[in-house]
Amino acid sequence: MNFEKVLFGFFIVLALTLNFGFFVGDIDNPEHHHAMELGAALAVSLIATIMKFGDRSQIGSVLLATSLVADLQLLIAAFTWGYAAYATEAGVTSDVLASIVSLSGGALLANLISVTLLVAETIMIRR
Amino acid sequence: MNDIIWLTMRRMRTPLMLMILVYSLSVFGMTQIPGLDEAGNVVQVGYLDAVYFIAILATTIGFGEIPTAFTHAQRLYVFIILFPNVIAWLYSIGTIISLFVDPQFRAVMARSRFSRRVRRMNGGFYIVCGFGHTGRMIVRGLLKRGISAAVIERNQDIIHGMSLDEEFAHLPALAGSVTDRRLLDMAGLCEDIKHCIGVLAITNKDHANLTIAITSKLLRPDLPVLARSETRRVAANMASFGTDLTVDPYTIFAQRFYLALMSPTKYLVQDWLISVPGTRLRKKMKPPMGRWILAGIGRFGSRLALKLDEAEMPYTVIDVHPDRIAERPDSVLGRGTEAKTLQQAGVEGAVGIIAGTGDDMDNLSIIMTALELNPDLFAVARQENPENDELFDASKADLVARRSLIVARRILAVATTPLLPVFNDHLVSQDDSFARTVERRLEDVLDGRSPSLWTLALTGVWVESIRAASRENVSIRLEHLSLNARTPTTENLPCVCLLLERGSSRIFLPGPSQELIEGDTLLFAGRGGARREMLFALTEPTALVSLATGRHQPRGAIMRRIARKRAS
Repeated sequence: MNFEKVLFGFFIVLALTLNFGFFVGDIDNPEHHHAMELGAALAVSLIATIMKFGDRSQIGSVLLATSLVADLQLLIAAFTWGYAAYATEAGVTSDVLASIVSLSGGALLANLISVTLLVAETIMIRR
Repeated sequence: MNDIIWLTMRRMRTPLMLMILVYSLSVFGMTQIPGLDEAGNVVQVGYLDAVYFIAILATTIGFGEIPTAFTHAQRLYVFIILFPNVIAWLYSIGTIISLFVDPQFRAVMARSRFSRRVRRMNGGFYIVCGFGHTGRMIVRGLLKRGISAAVIERNQDIIHGMSLDEEFAHLPALAGSVTDRRLLDMAGLCEDIKHCIGVLAITNKDHANLTIAITSKLLRPDLPVLARSETRRVAANMASFGTDLTVDPYTIFAQRFYLALMSPTKYLVQDWLISVPGTRLRKKMKPPMGRWILAGIGRFGSRLALKLDEAEMPYTVIDVHPDRIAERPDSVLGRGTEAKTLQQAGVEGAVGIIAGTGDDMDNLSIIMTALELNPDLFAVARQENPENDELFDASKADLVARRSLIVARRILAVATTPLLPVFNDHLVSQDDSFARTVERRLEDVLDGRSPSLWTLALTGVWVESIRAASRENVSIRLEHLSLNARTPTTENLPCVCLLLERGSSRIFLPGPSQELIEGDTLLFAGRGGARREMLFALTEPTALVSLATGRHQPRGAIMRRIARKRAS
């Protein structure tokens, strides 16, 4: 068993599932989306990225790229949420929420690509 | 490019001048003649209107939109200027079209396109002079190994054929004199074309090859030149000014024949290594000892006679030229195609026959007649024309000397795997036990098909994983490189390392525990899949370390640090 792979697989899949959990629901309904879930998805995605630091293999670098994309999207989403909640008077309106959720949707896609790559690599190298 | 513009300008001078003259005069006249508008007022035609009207008149497009209906005076004027304008226009168009179909112009166009394509090449390529059967075989082989080619060929039809052939259509190719210095310059001899890695002079004219070799050695002494030459005089001449390889198909064949006589195992191993990858491995062949008959003692026959002398094999010569016969006692005058001459030469008591005349049909006839008289003969035939392949295949000859194939194989071997000739020389100079070891090891991995050969230089991107290993204080040995890095169980790749070159020292058939360091060059023979796996292991930074230590090497920086701490 390859411990590194277990750990990385765990984090990358967890990032995907958390992100998915945040994403599902009506896009502008605040009751369907919880800030904590977005935060958790961001944290887990960041950890998965850091685990790919220093990996110079072909697939390793692509995985690093895709998880960087996911991080970027989630960071913007989280920042938007924070800004709307604390710096504007209107708070998190359904308009703002819609753009936050669509950003996390983009991150979800990047997570999906990461997982697909992970599976492809596992099949290619049977060691 | 400059040539094209210059040629166009020179040809277009008269028609353009005529057109401008007629056009401007017509426009001027048009503006001078007064017209009438709908209300009946006198109006002058403006310059824009005049220019526009004459343009659609001259080009015979003839839109009906004119500012106002013409007066009779205007119509008369237009009637007069109509014909000169149309004629001047058609004259210009006609000249341009005739320029495009002009052979001289097309040659200039083809040359500039060729030069542009050569300059745009982004990988190593050879200049190939001559694209006959040999050239075709060589270029195909080069392309298979990822090396490109710029082709110059005398025959225009062949170049046309190339552009229709999907295999070669993307290569820069030019019809022209192969010995023309300017063409060679354009094809890559020019100093600023960096990707040119050598010159192959393989036309079937010795003198042309000689000229090409001299030209390229003078202009670019650093580029290797591989040349074909069928006479000893030219070969010696070429070698005298530093041609890197001269290929004389008859000498090569004579040497191989000698090898087959003296050591069938060496011959067999060499044959495996130089045959086209993926074809069926040939079986061992043993030319018999005893008296031979040598029909035809020209360029081919005389080289074989030398080797027969060297092998101390008795032989009887048959030839049509009395002067050649005169030098050799006990020779028979005749073609050898008739039973009588063959019987005179003692075909019944001979062990083998060599049909070495310059005529393919004669050679076939000699072999067929001789085999009828003595079916146990070992038959060797010389084939000149590559189109007779099927005939010679069907002729029951045990060994066929195919000129273009011999040249193509030798040049390809040197051009793509420079270490192979080194290995072959070693194989020939060693005793039979070395050849038997190579034979056994190749047989184990080859699966009945002849091997692919590849050279692996541990430099550039291929050395990264070796460096990664030395950072981990792990030394990589040959056995690690020849393991499959992608399977869970240890599985050896189907290949044999023939030669390891390190600086000036060479290790033949290095053992599995041979340590590899940066800068080594290795020559492998094996199945093509093995090469892919090997390159995979080399590009994957941790694969070799994992193979060498037997433990999985973490790929991320954090996990690597943890693993190192745990180990210490």
